[in-house]
Amino acid sequence: MKSAKHSRLGRSWLPAHILVWLYAVLLVVPLYYFVASAFKTNEEIFASPFALPSSFGLGNFSTAFHSADLGLAVVNSALVTVFSLVLTLALAIPAAFALARSTGRLASLVESVFSLGFLIPTFAALFPTFLLAAATGLFHTRTFMILFLPATAMPLSVVILVQFMRTIPREMEEAARMDGASTFAVLRHVYTPMCLPGIATVLLLNFLTFWNEYLYSLVIIGPDPAQRTVQVALPTLKSITGTDYGVLTAGTVLTLVPVWIVYTVLQKRMQQALVSGAVKM
Amino acid sequence: MPSTMSRRGFLAAGGGLAAASALSGCSALAADDDDPGTLVVHSQLGTTAPGSPTYLSALDRFRKENPGLKVRNLVNGDDLPQVYETSRLARKEPDVVMVNLYDKTLAWTDVGATVDVKGYLDDWGLRERVLPVALDAWTDGKGRVRAFPYFATNWPVAFNRALLDKAGVDRVPATGDELIAAAGKLRRKGIAPVTVGGNDWTGQKLLAQIIQTFLTEDEARHVYATGDFGGRGARQGLEYFVELRDAGVFADKAQGLTSDSMTTQFNTQAAAMQSAMSSALAKVPAEVARHTDVGGWPLAPGAAHDKPTILRTYTLIGFWISPNGTKKIEAVEKFLRFMYRPDTVSRFIKEAGRDMALRSDTVSSHFPLVAAAQRLGGDVSQVLLPDLFVPPAATQPLITATSTSFTRGTSAAKVRSVLEAAYRGA
Repeated sequence: MKSAKHSRLGRSWLPAHILVWLYAVLLVVPLYYFVASAFKTNEEIFASPFALPSSFGLGNFSTAFHSADLGLAVVNSALVTVFSLVLTLALAIPAAFALARSTGRLASLVESVFSLGFLIPTFAALFPTFLLAAATGLFHTRTFMILFLPATAMPLSVVILVQFMRTIPREMEEAARMDGASTFAVLRHVYTPMCLPGIATVLLLNFLTFWNEYLYSLVIIGPDPAQRTVQVALPTLKSITGTDYGVLTAGTVLTLVPVWIVYTVLQKRMQQALVSGAVKM
Repeated sequence: MPSTMSRRGFLAAGGGLAAASALSGCSALAADDDDPGTLVVHSQLGTTAPGSPTYLSALDRFRKENPGLKVRNLVNGDDLPQVYETSRLARKEPDVVMVNLYDKTLAWTDVGATVDVKGYLDDWGLRERVLPVALDAWTDGKGRVRAFPYFATNWPVAFNRALLDKAGVDRVPATGDELIAAAGKLRRKGIAPVTVGGNDWTGQKLLAQIIQTFLTEDEARHVYATGDFGGRGARQGLEYFVELRDAGVFADKAQGLTSDSMTTQFNTQAAAMQSAMSSALAKVPAEVARHTDVGGWPLAPGAAHDKPTILRTYTLIGFWISPNGTKKIEAVEKFLRFMYRPDTVSRFIKEAGRDMALRSDTVSSHFPLVAAAQRLGGDVSQVLLPDLFVPPAATQPLITATSTSFTRGTSAAKVRSVLEAAYRGA
């Protein structure tokens, strides 16, 4: 009896199993193609794209690393990304805290202004941003990007964090106040720890955006190997008169390693944040 | 004794110290464009482009010979023109730019983004080093020399003799009919006849070459400058192209292929013929190069040329001098004199298989197909590379139109229509 029921249940779940496995294959196949290509020559990539590499030598990785100076580029990207993330959080957390606790019209207006930031297309801001960089003398520097990237990230960061902070009961703050906590202490010891999943979400989303940013880095930071980021260094492996796709793919794999590490570390927090309220965490 | 600093304070101070040292260690955050003791060169060479190792080695040698002069090498790929233009707008442009005369760069001298180098060429006594035909190509309508010419390229057709033999084709096709017959035989053996990147610039160049079968040089210049493909010669050329295409001369799905898939098909012997730049010929594996001939594109009856055609250009890479470069002109002169030196030029020919726009007796001995292309001389007829005549705004639309042209079943009238449409916004 139990066996028959189990069998019926198994059959009814079969389509779901098939779909899940198909989805998994859809994700794994491009990843396999991507990683396998990093070990191949152009001829192997074009002639037999899904075959295993004939050798697992690291020549392509070495060529990519040295010829595009990827080591320095990764350091530059890390500097720009980390400093931008720190600045983003330093600005967004207090801003969200203030907006979440305020009930006046002005706060509502300021929150709307932050939301309007989503409406500015990337390309539309390029030229004014370039002019600003030139006028401030920060053109061809990473400093400008460290100041600029948080500005672009503020709308999303503030909107997400405000929603998290609004779920925190006022009683928590009142209890802290009765213990003599200042406003800053409330932010630091009550709101910030309880919003960690939200902060992790903001960190992860902004990390991916900052790390992968190409257009502004290309124009503002420029092509100097001492300053350029990985996203600017990587395309130099592409040539109009014949690209070595093995080397290009190997370079791409190298620059994705930090992304995979950060994603692995933060993704669980983000998933938790998406499925549960901040108070439950 | 209790610690005066908490653990968090210690970590914060350590983090701050690490950040400060990282920032100072990896060059200052401030821009470094204005250093008068540094020559800044912006180039497309430096990573994996053909000739990059030779170029980097030449830079090292130049630095050793000029210890008091710092040289900074900036590298970009296809996005170099855009990056240069924005840096020029900010007045922080590099001193020397190495890029070809094409698309956006056609306007640089006119708008003052780079300077006329004619005076420098004469003052430094370098005019005699340049091939006259190259000098002509780099001179604009107002007599200004846009840059110091450097790289050139041949663009012959490569024929894999072994594959032709295997298919029973006795000799390299010299006419359209012979090409169509050869294509049929190759297809029966499962070999793609002519491979071409129908989705990118290689397809656009081959299409231009075939259209010029029925055009004189002046007519071709007019057609590509105005976008008027309605003349008799242009229409005949389009019909010839369509006839070849629909007879199966080009590889299957050519409209989706790119320059990279083209060279790979030829290098892996999946295809028997390709129209390729000499830098691509330099990369043909030795075992394939051994039984490859180079020649021209087969002609049709009534053609305006008496020999099969090839493309050839002298505008591949030149040294452009920027307004900032004129402020460090002594350094620029040293650099240009060094790059024009016969031994430096010879190294590009010998080590990288590059064709040069400068006089040299050196032959690409390690690159037999490049050398063979250099020797073609009077065996072929030369057609125009349209890059110099196509208005910059029409360049990319023309490349996009290429894909439609290589789609089987598209009529000659339709091909003409998409080519002309590419010029409408220009």
